[in-house]
Amino acid sequence: MREIIYDVFARKDRGDTLAHIGYIDALDDATAKVYAWKTYDEQNWFEMCVVPRSAIILVNRDDGPFARGGAT
Amino acid sequence: MAFTDEELMAKVQDGYMVESPEEMSPGYKKALTVQLTVQADTELMSAPSYWMAARYAPSTNTQVSAHAIIQDELAHANIAYRLLEDIGESKEKLVYGRQPHEFKHPYGFDQPLDNWADLVVANGFFDRAGITLLSDVYQNTSYGPLKRALVKVDMEETFHLRHGEVWMRRLSKAGGEAKEMLQRSVDWMFPMTVEWFGLPDEMKRHSGQLDYRLKGLTNDQLRQVWMASTVPLCEQLGLKAPAHWDEANEEYVLDYPFPCEYDHESKVWLIDDGEISWDQVFTRWKGRGPMNEIYVESVQRSRSQVGRWLNGATA
Repeated sequence: MREIIYDVFARKDRGDTLAHIGYIDALDDATAKVYAWKTYDEQNWFEMCVVPRSAIILVNRDDGPFARGGAT
Repeated sequence: MAFTDEELMAKVQDGYMVESPEEMSPGYKKALTVQLTVQADTELMSAPSYWMAARYAPSTNTQVSAHAIIQDELAHANIAYRLLEDIGESKEKLVYGRQPHEFKHPYGFDQPLDNWADLVVANGFFDRAGITLLSDVYQNTSYGPLKRALVKVDMEETFHLRHGEVWMRRLSKAGGEAKEMLQRSVDWMFPMTVEWFGLPDEMKRHSGQLDYRLKGLTNDQLRQVWMASTVPLCEQLGLKAPAHWDEANEEYVLDYPFPCEYDHESKVWLIDDGEISWDQVFTRWKGRGPMNEIYVESVQRSRSQVGRWLNGATA
């Protein structure tokens, strides 16, 4: 099955920093939301969002996982 | 930005954190790939093992707890395979493209869990081994993405361990048949977990994991950490564990020949047959245990068919 890499960001409480907490592979945005919420259930997050890795644009580096835009 | 093996060894020993595959030397990448593959496969194969045992849960609440643990294990596996993809491996090939004997999980997860006592002792012993190994990785690893991923994993493995301990205590307190069953689980799973930590240090082949600071403690040190919490737990619960604290040497000592042979059909360690060589242990591990094919098949079976339904692309 063709899946897309999504990076998962969340903040635990009001006033906290939005932090990268992990990643999931999903078929589309709708399944990505479900997988992220069910996979990263170790906290009662105030806010969570997912971003397709291909949408992340590196500013000051050209290496690392984000540099390939989700290509594997 | 790429370093030689020697340069990277020196840098990570000095505290350098590796953040991208481009910085990895060939030796570092190989050692990390082996470590992550063992970690991912172990998490993945614990899921069918616990899943088939969850049918012995005595109530709907315990069903929920058992399946919550399985859900965690699958998420941990997924995270580890994602880390492997980011260094150039294919999750598709690793999960769906390998034969059962090619997975790198420990022999303990090739065994059947035949009742509720087996499942809770697996939580108490196997998941404790998981925490022992992964806490050490978390505290010492030189690979940034793995350190960050382990925050969630360690938090959840602690819950699995508590689940195991609470239920071991409950079965022990009940006495009678419940305690006898619990003791039988301890009898086969204690030596199984001790063996899980691998070769003794004096025989350990050079793996690079310590040199590249992918872990901090040796096999024997990790085995001691595991016994330091497991043996007192068993003593508190009135269960016999085949190890004791040696005052003179200030370490736990096993009360049986180690390593020794295991009869998987009767789930009994052949202690009376005496010590065997580690080559014999590796032969047994490579032969895999009775549930290996069943567990792997349960993970792989629906991938191709559903893939065809969705987009014509198969694994």
